Amino acid sequence: MAQTALNPKGVSPSADWKKWLGVTPFFLFAILFLILPSLRLFIGSFTTEDGQFSLVNIIQLFEEKAILDAYWLSIRISAATALGGGLFGFLLAYSVTVGGLPKPLRSALITFSGVASNFAGVPLAFAFIATLGRTGFITTLIKNLFGVNLYQQTDFDLYSFAGLSLTYMYFQFPLMVLIMAPALDGLKREWREAAENLGASNFQYWMRVAFPVLLPSILGTMILLFGNAFGAYATAYALTGGRLGIITIQIGAQIRGDVHHNPGLGYAMAMGMVVVMTISLIGYSWLQKRSERWLR
Amino acid sequence: MSYLSISNVTKQFGDAVVVDNFNLDIEKGEFVSFLGPSGCGKTTTLRMVAGFEIPTSGRILLDGADITDKAPNQRNVGMIFQSYALFPNMTVAQNIGFGLRVRKEPEAMIKQRVDEMVGLINLEKHANKYPYQLSGGQQQRVSLARALANRPQVLLLDEPLSALDAKIRVSLRAEIRAIQKSLGITAIFVTHDQEEALSISDRIVVMNVGEMEQVGTPFEIYNFPKTRFVANFVGSLNTADAEVVDPAKGLVSMDGVQLEAAEGTDGRKKGDKVKIAIRPERLSFASEQKKANVVDCIIENITFLGAVVRIQVKIGNTKFNMDTFNNPFLELPKIGAKEQVTCSKEAVLVLDD
Amino acid sequence: MASEKIRKVVEMSGISFGVRVGKQGNRKSWSLSRLGTRFWSWFWFILGALYFLLPLYATANFSLRMERDVIGFKAYIRAFEDPEFLKTFLYSNVLALLTIVASIILIVPTAYWIRLRLPEARRIVEFITLLPFVVPAIILVFGLIRIYSSPIKIPFTDTTLFQPLTTFEVGTDILIVAGYMVLGLPYMYRSVDTGMRTVDVRTLTEAAQSLGASWFTIIVRVILPNIRAALLSGALLTFAIVVGEVTLASFLGVPAFGPYLFLLGQHRAYEPAALSFASFLLTWVAMGLIQLFTGGQGQAAGAH
Repeated sequence: MAQTALNPKGVSPSADWKKWLGVTPFFLFAILFLILPSLRLFIGSFTTEDGQFSLVNIIQLFEEKAILDAYWLSIRISAATALGGGLFGFLLAYSVTVGGLPKPLRSALITFSGVASNFAGVPLAFAFIATLGRTGFITTLIKNLFGVNLYQQTDFDLYSFAGLSLTYMYFQFPLMVLIMAPALDGLKREWREAAENLGASNFQYWMRVAFPVLLPSILGTMILLFGNAFGAYATAYALTGGRLGIITIQIGAQIRGDVHHNPGLGYAMAMGMVVVMTISLIGYSWLQKRSERWLR
Repeated sequence: MSYLSISNVTKQFGDAVVVDNFNLDIEKGEFVSFLGPSGCGKTTTLRMVAGFEIPTSGRILLDGADITDKAPNQRNVGMIFQSYALFPNMTVAQNIGFGLRVRKEPEAMIKQRVDEMVGLINLEKHANKYPYQLSGGQQQRVSLARALANRPQVLLLDEPLSALDAKIRVSLRAEIRAIQKSLGITAIFVTHDQEEALSISDRIVVMNVGEMEQVGTPFEIYNFPKTRFVANFVGSLNTADAEVVDPAKGLVSMDGVQLEAAEGTDGRKKGDKVKIAIRPERLSFASEQKKANVVDCIIENITFLGAVVRIQVKIGNTKFNMDTFNNPFLELPKIGAKEQVTCSKEAVLVLDD
Repeated sequence: MASEKIRKVVEMSGISFGVRVGKQGNRKSWSLSRLGTRFWSWFWFILGALYFLLPLYATANFSLRMERDVIGFKAYIRAFEDPEFLKTFLYSNVLALLTIVASIILIVPTAYWIRLRLPEARRIVEFITLLPFVVPAIILVFGLIRIYSSPIKIPFTDTTLFQPLTTFEVGTDILIVAGYMVLGLPYMYRSVDTGMRTVDVRTLTEAAQSLGASWFTIIVRVILPNIRAALLSGALLTFAIVVGEVTLASFLGVPAFGPYLFLLGQHRAYEPAALSFASFLLTWVAMGLIQLFTGGQGQAAGAH
């Protein structure tokens, strides 16, 4: 490779394809360990066991109530934690940026969010069992203080929809904080001043300027949170041991061959997840582009 | 009674005095510039008029009403920011209509006013574009229209041209001045660019570290600077140490070279240390007619600046810049040559040491 | 009035959008609204802090009470003494290290080459690095198992190139490291690419070239030292993902720390709590280091 070839226009056409040699290892890796496996599932979901093209798996996906319920449960949990985590995360990010809390609290919250958004899986599940399980710290505290047994006198159950959602929130809202804090910083002081100068009240400034400007980031991040919860497996499995039939746990059972014994259906279930994730990623990047344009 | 009156205004941030006893009366329709280096308090003063800062002491009266403590959204002043501060989520038309909309004016009236404003800044074709689709100059024009749409009593411009390219800066400042004149609106323009202030203003307030150095028309500020700071900050200037020789005759001596000054020596004694200052364009090669202030010099360097040729000469032990207009038939001396230069006695400014 | 309703809801949530007022702010309503903002800010912050800290406190508290009526580290000692723990934890660390090294070897030259010579490949490569968001770990491992649990043949022949990767240990290790590389890909790539953008590798390279440096010198002595912080942050993030990972590890059946902790939780109570708290501290250290090296930029992974 000639040292003077840095200028791309000085490269002869024959060298054009050679440039691509530089990225072959990357593409090879991606094909072997990302594209091929995905493609296998994709093709598998459209073929019968003897290799014929068929829509049978896809149709079965929509006919089997247990599977539809699993998707629906996953979607509900993901939506609930995305909304809840998004709202709570926004309020927290607001309080340390615009809300006027001392600076050290901000860096403390950001660091903590970095940790918590990565603290998931088995340890997180155990932490919540120690907190809200049958003999958990808070469960006991409530029993001692108010004489209420959460598990006998209320509907609460850590190994249920509410419990899993509460646990997911632990890594959900820190993610919101991490993304929203810089976005809130991106609100220019001049926008507020210009609005005030033009006669707007604080409320009008937030309703007409700040929220609309932030909205793409808020929605985009919530979609990200949705996907984050939708694809989660380890936390749910460790917490409920497979009792709560969310879609990832159902797929896990398929891989193990525990139920159905129908690999085609397993592929279709996986593809269904990929479709949901793809839609949310597209939504996210569309909103992200919009907000970058504004907050530049 | 003047239209906008800023009296005895002082602003402190903690212990730091940012604006110290600022006094200024502005007439209706007047265009006043605050000129000074960064940190001189000009922007803080402007922000006090806008209501973003509250004076530590002193009053601000607008059209007879005390607005010192009024909230920014309760006063009717228009502000233009250096960074345009257009709302990114609104089109040009929506930005311009914002102030009217938050005041809950009827839609028909808003539409009419927006159309009028868009016409004023010649952006009819861009009314439905978003700020990010516009150039910097266009954005600043929108911000001007947005401020004017509310029919403000005073227009405040905080370094509005600083973020723009040199060419647009010149054309936009002419446009701002033309619009201001045609609407007869009172304006305060903050800048650190002396050329901008000189070209656009009715009056200039030169400020330095929180204090007003001089207030006057551009002509006065440039030709008769009262302090060394003003003389130095506005236009370029040759300065040298000198000593008063004869206060009555206006004679000063600079390393033994005697110069005659028209004024500035009154009230001084013989032997007082002073600074003399001469603008480069006031120096010229001595022709035979002129007899006053003719001094010997050596040509040190010649720099071609386009319309102007700057010749560096050494008078005594001091280097002076001399500007002459360029023309194709100009005969330039050689470097190292001995020449004589001269200037009128009005050109020799005598300032405190 | 709809807007009136929104206002009420918003005010109830505590977003009163206070105004900064000068020290001697004598506008009463403004100072009041600022006070309101402060109150709600503290309220939400304290609530968040409680949510963060209570589970940790509960875990730590629980883990210290293995012996009746005594606060002590017995659970920790028991957990750390278990030879299985040592084995699996070491194994996971080795996996993490391999993943990091392999990722750097794969991604740094790719990102560098794209910045330098092949900007037209940027879009497609960035697209690929986003794919792991669409293909969650559970789906990835599903696909990997289906592809690599049968022998790999040269296309259109019957010649077997490899035995199924899942049937022998080294094969499984290759598979799981590759899987982890995929999981870490978005973070590693973005981290490295951002690092290269901020130091402007193109100009650096040209400057080094004009001074007569060889390619090796350029990469090792100019590029790598300049993207050190980015590499470290990507590496630590990958580490945080890999060390406690369960999904890939359990389906591929490797003796890693994640599945071990999970199994331990099935029949023990105190030791898993101790290990959970310890792994939280480990995550904290990794994130703290990232914060230290990058000043707090981009540190959100997600292997949940």
